[in-house]
Amino acid sequence: MAISSARESLSHALNNRFLPNLEYLLQGSILDSAVEHLMHRLKGLCDNVDTSPETFHDLEVCMSLRQPNTNQPLMLRVRRALGRDAPFQMRYLGQPEVDQRRPTLVRSCMDCACTNGILDFLTEMGFRLEFEYIAKGYMFRKGRMKITVSKLIKIVPGKQDMANEPISQSYIVELSVVAPTGQENVGEEMRVFAEQLKPLVQLEKIDYKRLGNIP
Amino acid sequence: MGVTVLQPYPMPEGKSGAYIIDHLGKRLLSLGATHAGQFLVDCETFISTPQHGTPTRAVHVLHNSECPASTFSIIDNGTGKQVALVADNIFDLLMLKMTNTFTSKKQTKIESRGARFEYGDFVIKLGSVTMMEHFKGVLVEIEYKPCITLSYCWEMIREMLQGFLSINVGKEYPSYFTTQTIMNAMGQQQLHKQNDIYEPMDTIKQYLEQFTNYRKHVQMHSAMGGTVGPVMMNTVVGMGRP
Amino acid sequence: MSNSVNISVETTCENQIREIAYDGTELYQPPPTLSESLAKCAARIDFSKTSLEDLKKEEKSAAAAEEDAKDANIFQESLWPWDAVRNKLKDAYTEICVLSDVISIAKDKRYLVLDPLLEDSDDTKPIVQVYTRKKAISQAAQVLLSGAERLRNAHSELRNPNVKDFHIELLRLRQNWRLKKVSNGAIIGDLSYRTAGSKFGMSGTFEVAKAEDVLDEETTTSNANSSGGNTPNTQISTNNGIQPNGSSSLRVIVPAELQGVAYIKVITQKDQEDLCTAQVNLMGHGPNITAQVGVWQKTLEFAQNVLFCKELFAQLAREAIQLQAPIPHVVIGNQIRATLLPNIQLIISLCHSTSFDSNQPAPINDHDHVLEHSLHQLLREVHYKNSHHPFPHPASAPLGPSKKRMIAGPTAADRDSLLEMTKTQTILEQIIAQAQHIFMRKRTQYVLDTLARDVKDPQIVSHWNAMNSPTMSCVKINIVTHGYDAFGRTSLVIHVKERSLKCICRDGRVMRLSYEPQELRDLILCQINSHQISCLVSLARCMAWTVLSNSNHLGIGKVEPLGNASSCLLASPNSDRMIAVQIRCDPQIDVKVYIARSPRQDFFPTPLVPEKFWENLGGNFKEVRFDKIEGKSFLNKMEFLMASLTSNTA
Repeated sequence: MAISSARESLSHALNNRFLPNLEYLLQGSILDSAVEHLMHRLKGLCDNVDTSPETFHDLEVCMSLRQPNTNQPLMLRVRRALGRDAPFQMRYLGQPEVDQRRPTLVRSCMDCACTNGILDFLTEMGFRLEFEYIAKGYMFRKGRMKITVSKLIKIVPGKQDMANEPISQSYIVELSVVAPTGQENVGEEMRVFAEQLKPLVQLEKIDYKRLGNIP
Repeated sequence: MGVTVLQPYPMPEGKSGAYIIDHLGKRLLSLGATHAGQFLVDCETFISTPQHGTPTRAVHVLHNSECPASTFSIIDNGTGKQVALVADNIFDLLMLKMTNTFTSKKQTKIESRGARFEYGDFVIKLGSVTMMEHFKGVLVEIEYKPCITLSYCWEMIREMLQGFLSINVGKEYPSYFTTQTIMNAMGQQQLHKQNDIYEPMDTIKQYLEQFTNYRKHVQMHSAMGGTVGPVMMNTVVGMGRP
Repeated sequence: MSNSVNISVETTCENQIREIAYDGTELYQPPPTLSESLAKCAARIDFSKTSLEDLKKEEKSAAAAEEDAKDANIFQESLWPWDAVRNKLKDAYTEICVLSDVISIAKDKRYLVLDPLLEDSDDTKPIVQVYTRKKAISQAAQVLLSGAERLRNAHSELRNPNVKDFHIELLRLRQNWRLKKVSNGAIIGDLSYRTAGSKFGMSGTFEVAKAEDVLDEETTTSNANSSGGNTPNTQISTNNGIQPNGSSSLRVIVPAELQGVAYIKVITQKDQEDLCTAQVNLMGHGPNITAQVGVWQKTLEFAQNVLFCKELFAQLAREAIQLQAPIPHVVIGNQIRATLLPNIQLIISLCHSTSFDSNQPAPINDHDHVLEHSLHQLLREVHYKNSHHPFPHPASAPLGPSKKRMIAGPTAADRDSLLEMTKTQTILEQIIAQAQHIFMRKRTQYVLDTLARDVKDPQIVSHWNAMNSPTMSCVKINIVTHGYDAFGRTSLVIHVKERSLKCICRDGRVMRLSYEPQELRDLILCQINSHQISCLVSLARCMAWTVLSNSNHLGIGKVEPLGNASSCLLASPNSDRMIAVQIRCDPQIDVKVYIARSPRQDFFPTPLVPEKFWENLGGNFKEVRFDKIEGKSFLNKMEFLMASLTSNTA
């Protein structure tokens, strides 16, 4: 019985479509004053809400690497849960694909948990800091859908945490599913769910190309 | 997880690698060890495309079948600084996203593969090292599971190496564990690695050290043939021995 | 209705039909010339309205007047014979002038202020108006009539005691159960555990109806079921055609496969003899809300219980078939048989009866609440795990993997721990483990209790930990001699697991015993042995006797892995007496005591051993009839013996 190498088993997972590598995403935003209503709605719609909603407080750092022969730099986002002993998450996001026929935005996505040396590692590889922010908010789930209601907080360089202040007076609401290739019904499932949040928050596929380089 | 020591097996003249492995395996079995599966440690090195002003960087990506969910990587920035990282397997796919900057040196892909034996609290692995399908040598990995600090169990491991495998091992700690001097933000510091808590990354670093030696060996041979590029010479940085 | 209804009346075709020929051809009048049509139009003008008297009414509308003025312009250039027309128009013109003056005054607001008046309906076409009013009134009347009809219906329903609180009951039902109204007006409820995480395929829908509506159709099935005595549910009472005497106006229709009563019976059987049984019967659990809400509550609870039992059994049966046990599990019909230990079987059966005679099944004496609870709990746990997944941190991490799996990559988890993560115990495995443990615990208890009963000396005291896990409990055993507690106490701890025991002695020895009770018995007997000897040694020291030797394992008799006969040799303070003690423990505790004295009394010099001093060598040991010695316990007797031997020499 020969042992297969890690690379072989990884490509096997890719070929057999059980490696989740596509992110289906819908985004929207809601004012601070109305977020309470949204939370109530989500509590009613989502799974296991008998407990209070899960909170999170993460620091996201986006690193970029300018590569020769390409215009687009390679961007990797490293996220760290503040005040929690959890591994860092490195995330690669591909170019979003806003297909009119699909109900959601679809982009390729790779999630990789790493030890905390990752930022140092990337710096040594030649990556440079692009931007960083703190995301703080609530998480819900409904089946395989993940719903985050988060407040983005800007980091004032060189100051303590106290100096950080919210970017805007609203929360960003994201509905996402990471699934293997070829599961087209995901989008429909998400559209139906987004429909149920309708009057409160309008979840849409947001075309980043039109917005310019906003995170 | 315990403490692991990696020891190259000196190749006697006129004996093939397969013979040595077979011989050692038989010896272990007759001494009471049990055969417990296979193992594989592989290493692939990515070299940054040379850009003016920056030294050539090398990223070594290693896998150990003992930790099937992890990918180990060590970056060597060319100036002696090394950063180690343990990540999910998906890291391999991320490396492929950087092919414009970091290219894989296929001809230096090296692996150690072989049988795994268990004897009480010891795990012994007899690996035959191959690079590009060419046999390079035999690496013996020996792990003592109940302990996590080398200094407490080195004598036992040494006895095992000498008694079971008849490898002549000195009393002093293996070179990887000997005191290292490293430069960091706190200035020059002495590390006594044999007293540290052993981590899976240490196994990987020992393998990389040995693999680098095998590669260097090849380069020295090929250097005589005059076909070596300067790139590899940069990456062959010793594992920080004094 | 202040607004008039505008009805436009126009001819169907442009020209009038003069004649219709026999072949159906219509002959039209030639269209009138311009002058003709003008004359016609002029003739149509009803000037009576625009006369001075009528104009009083018209004043309010300046626009209308202006229109008239426009008309006037047209008629000015027309025929002079229409003098009257002209005069009237002239009057109108005067009026307009006055009106314009009035408007200018009104606009100035210095002399005159205009207030809107309540609009009077201007009946231009009284017939049409009357007709529309009549129509509108009849519509309103219809609305009122239908409302009155509904009220009357509701009122008559109110008088009927059976239906008066249908909606209140529906409200109560809605508070406790999931209901929805479907398109055709029916109300459908769901009693399945799907929202709680169940993945069982069977549907748990029920229908809600008013009690009297379905009386007729139900009578057909009524004969099958007999009345359930004092606690009938709605269904039964309606089934029998009896008016539910004030019980409920709301009826729930549960699918046939969920009707009746179900429970899961768990029996532990040793060679056909029941050791313990448990029944999972969820009825009667939880706060009894039947009193406040209708009897349908009971029906639904029964049905939900049936569904739960079916799911539990289906799950167990599936696992029984999949599991690779050394002795395969057997699934026959509604019964699963699994072997716990040799000759001991666990039988889990699903009992589902639709006749209500079995509502109160024959009482089972050995009702085991623990196993009952466990089975219940295990499935609930599965449900919980289905619906409760850990959230990832940081939030961008993928949803799904367990917390352990999330950190496995970066912490370089090894193969074994990753394999461990993939393993889950099935419900059947867990319940078998629990049943085995219960059995092992009972067996251990039995062995300890019978030993404590049979062995009076020393005393065996066992302390069971009240807190234990379903598959592990712990007992501490103290062996003491009454009255001699200070000399020694032997204690050991026994961990009772699923199929084995682990004994930890005070000296740190750990022994693993199998499920065979004999092993435990032997161990305890050996412990008693060594207890007696060690106590005797300390007692002897206390009485100034010298311990010449002692051994816990003489190695005589049957060789036991845990130890066998033990012995001790004591010498009196001035060494003239010796006592030898031997205690055997196979199969009963057997004490033998021998004494010897030196110098021996019966020493006679012989030619072979001539010298006198040989008498000090000590003589033959003579057995003491130990059971005749006074004393309550072994140590007590030994104390007497030692004391008497010491005093003899004194």
